[in-house]
Amino acid sequence: MAQTRGEVLQGTLDLIVLKTLEALGPLHGYGIAVRIQQVSADLLKLNQGTLYPALLRLEQRGWVSSKWGVSDNNRKAKYYSLTRSGRKQLLAETESWERMAALMTRLLGRAEGA
Amino acid sequence: MNRFRIFFSRLAGLFRRRALDADLDTELRLHIEALTEENIRRGMTPEVARHAARREFGGIEQTKELYRDARGLPFLETLWQDVSYGVRTMLRAPGFTAVAVIALALGIGANTAIFSVVNAVLLRPLAYKDSGKLLTILTNGSGPVAVANYIDWRDQSHSFEAMGAADYWSPNLTELDYPEHIRGLKLTQSLLPMLGVHPLLGRWFADGEDKVGFEHEVILSHRLWQRRFSGDRNVLGKAIVLDGMSYIVVGVMPREFQFAPFWATHAELWVPNAFGDRVHNRGGNSLRIFARLKPGVELEQARAEIATITARLEQQYPGTNRDVVVTPLKEKVVGEIETPLLVLLGAVGFVLLITCANVAHMTLARASARQKEIAVRTALGAGRMRVIRQFLTENLLLGALGGSAGLLLAIWGTHVLVALSPADIPRVDTVTIDARVAMFLLSVTVSTSVGFGLAPALQSSAVNLNDTLKEGGRSNSEGSSRNRLRSFLVASEFALALVLLVGAGLMIRSFFALQTVDPGFNPHNVLSMVVSVAGSKEADPGRRGILYKQLLDRVRSLPGVQAAGGINHLPLAGDLWGWPFTIEGRPKPGPGESPMAIYRLATPGYFQTMRLPLLQGRDISAKDDVNAPGAVIINERAAHQYWPGKDPIGKRITFDDDKKNPPTWLTVIAVAKNAKQDDWVSDSYPEVYLAAFQNHDFLGDSGTEISSHITYITLVVRAAGDVAALAPTLKSTVWEFDRNLAISEVLTMDEIVAGANAQPRFEMLLLSVFAGIALLLAAVGIYGVMSYSVSRRTHEIGVRMSLGASQARVVRLVVRQAMVLALAGLTVGLVAASFLSRWMAHMLYGVRPTDPVTFAAVALLLALVALLATYLPARHATRVDPMAALRYE
Repeated sequence: MAQTRGEVLQGTLDLIVLKTLEALGPLHGYGIAVRIQQVSADLLKLNQGTLYPALLRLEQRGWVSSKWGVSDNNRKAKYYSLTRSGRKQLLAETESWERMAALMTRLLGRAEGA
Repeated sequence: MNRFRIFFSRLAGLFRRRALDADLDTELRLHIEALTEENIRRGMTPEVARHAARREFGGIEQTKELYRDARGLPFLETLWQDVSYGVRTMLRAPGFTAVAVIALALGIGANTAIFSVVNAVLLRPLAYKDSGKLLTILTNGSGPVAVANYIDWRDQSHSFEAMGAADYWSPNLTELDYPEHIRGLKLTQSLLPMLGVHPLLGRWFADGEDKVGFEHEVILSHRLWQRRFSGDRNVLGKAIVLDGMSYIVVGVMPREFQFAPFWATHAELWVPNAFGDRVHNRGGNSLRIFARLKPGVELEQARAEIATITARLEQQYPGTNRDVVVTPLKEKVVGEIETPLLVLLGAVGFVLLITCANVAHMTLARASARQKEIAVRTALGAGRMRVIRQFLTENLLLGALGGSAGLLLAIWGTHVLVALSPADIPRVDTVTIDARVAMFLLSVTVSTSVGFGLAPALQSSAVNLNDTLKEGGRSNSEGSSRNRLRSFLVASEFALALVLLVGAGLMIRSFFALQTVDPGFNPHNVLSMVVSVAGSKEADPGRRGILYKQLLDRVRSLPGVQAAGGINHLPLAGDLWGWPFTIEGRPKPGPGESPMAIYRLATPGYFQTMRLPLLQGRDISAKDDVNAPGAVIINERAAHQYWPGKDPIGKRITFDDDKKNPPTWLTVIAVAKNAKQDDWVSDSYPEVYLAAFQNHDFLGDSGTEISSHITYITLVVRAAGDVAALAPTLKSTVWEFDRNLAISEVLTMDEIVAGANAQPRFEMLLLSVFAGIALLLAAVGIYGVMSYSVSRRTHEIGVRMSLGASQARVVRLVVRQAMVLALAGLTVGLVAASFLSRWMAHMLYGVRPTDPVTFAAVALLLALVALLATYLPARHATRVDPMAALRYE
């Protein structure tokens, strides 16, 4: 069961993307992928393709907006940025995630202790 | 909120599919290029870098697929795929599509049209407030009631919130641009509030306005208001002249308002009914009684109460309160038409079933031709549900086309139906395609589409992949279950068609029997019209008789006119009056047991014009005037009933009661052949014809209630050639005497006879059309199945023929197969028809519902059709070249 490079849960990926956009501002898909790989230090096995349907979902919910722009190396690229309601959503999800994580930690810790 | 947003953004995605696909491509390309460049920077060769990038990215196509699923509405997109695929399949088989759509349109259209009539006539509540609580109280359930009885019922009963009475009244409207005979009703004040329909303009009659002296007010129908007053709102408060009296307009009813709903249905004005001294009258029955149940009171309680009251009154006043029947108003309105309409609805439902069966085996045949296609789809990963869904979509598509065409057909069909329908079908003018009809159309369309599509879909989707693909798309031995299903469908079509044809056959035989009925007179080449003197100066008692005589003389002198006469009411068209009389020298009969006769007033020339033969005695002549002794002609039935075995000529009767002493005696001068009276099929009742020109009621100088009712004469004119063309000349002849004489009901006797037969003709026509469609569909069905079966058996037939089977033998083989199906269907149909046809018993005349001739003829006809429809495929089978057939793999 020692699967360190775990698959990403769907809701989790959304949260990670939102957080990334909050931290770095407008970013294209590749940029987001690179950033996630860097931060997770390759612990997270991200199938980069799945990023795009996730971005679409976030956009449909109005948490992310997108605009065509020009990338660093002068290519046409789609830039995603966090919207106001995306920011709210990020706060709410972070909070609930932390609560969940704390709960899990407590539960698991006690179980080990017993 | 969010869900809507997602839905709309997905919906938008649906429409911007192509642009979004291109966007995604650009994004993904950029991403992979960036990955590749990064890899190169890390020192990989371009080739290896590209591969690594691909690996890191994951499946591009999967990403796109996921993306598309998230972007649009996958359900709709699949539907769209199915629909566009379905459309292409349909276009590839235009013949099949056309036949299926036409069949469905016929089935759905005919059903919708008939249903729209059923809806308007039977289902929709009457257009009065809380109309389920309204009742009628009538003698024998249909006859009128005397004033004193009505008053007693009203005052002694407790079951009713209100009770009201209506009298028929058709005055002449004069002093406007032209005179017009208008049908109307006299109502008690309570009646309109009881119906709960408020006037469009003005008000109902107020309390006390049905008292003598206060009754000169009138409420107009919307139609009359539009026709004669151009919808002028200032008509309120104005006076109009009806039968020479002035009436103030106090209200105008809304357009939809119609009263009464079952009799006097064309009433266009309503005035208060002042009973005056009629309040004590238990003899002259003329009122129709309406009542509204009190809340919480059941119909049966009301019936019991009325039964108690009338029993008490009958004891008190014998012969006056018998057979009083309480009927819900709705039942009274639709009662007689209910069965014929339901029979038609049932018949048209059968047509739809046949349509379904037909389209079902068409799709079945096509489904087997498409087996390979389905096998390929299944092999490529289409699940069973997906295949069924594809089939259902295609069927719904066919159904939608058929349903739309059916809707057009129904719109046209309802117009035709309404135009064809007999005038006495209540509420037929309100037939429309409303929400309920639309729902009916929709559910019929969907259920037929699923009905005819599901079985083929289920069967086809259960394809055995290996077999089908291996056989190279041809299977000689068809699945036997499919064969059974198709045989069952054809046999059912024959069974259903037989039931319909029996129905139509019975109606046709009944209709021909009706044609042979002898009305007693000769209706051809006779024109009739009602001339009314009310409201003109000719209404004056001294002038009426002179006018009628001069008018008849003038008409007789018109070119082409062979004979002319007059009568109060025409048979089959006009009102029908029954009167008790006394026979001279017989003991006084008990109350309610007096001899009764239908009462007519005829002028000289009436019998000659109608060619109504006198079996013995002499005709009424000009000499039978007020100074001559009273003369009367009786019909055969009266002679047999009241003077059985004796010669009635010279016997005397009187219509006066004991109060008049001595009474006016009328001597029987002739016996006339029985003539039809108020309907075409009933036997004639006893009937008397009084000499009109010696009758003071007719001449208007008797001063009685009756004389104020007989203010008209019905002219009958016999001419050579086109008698209808005589109408304008006749009218101008009448108006030469007085421009204020109102003329109405200008009809030929042939039209009147046709009108009396309108309902059976209507029913026969519709049932025949339905049966014709059924026959055609059944023929197409068996033809289709047999030719399909022959084409599937080409190989087998080839083998048989190469082994020496003769052509005749092959024909027999094919025909026998078809006839087994047809005969099985016919047998079931015969049994079903003998059960179902009893519903038609009331619609038939002169033929029993189980008429063996009809049953045999219909079965023979269908068997012949089956034989013919099989002949072509059978012949085709014999043309098979054995060599070609064997190679036909």
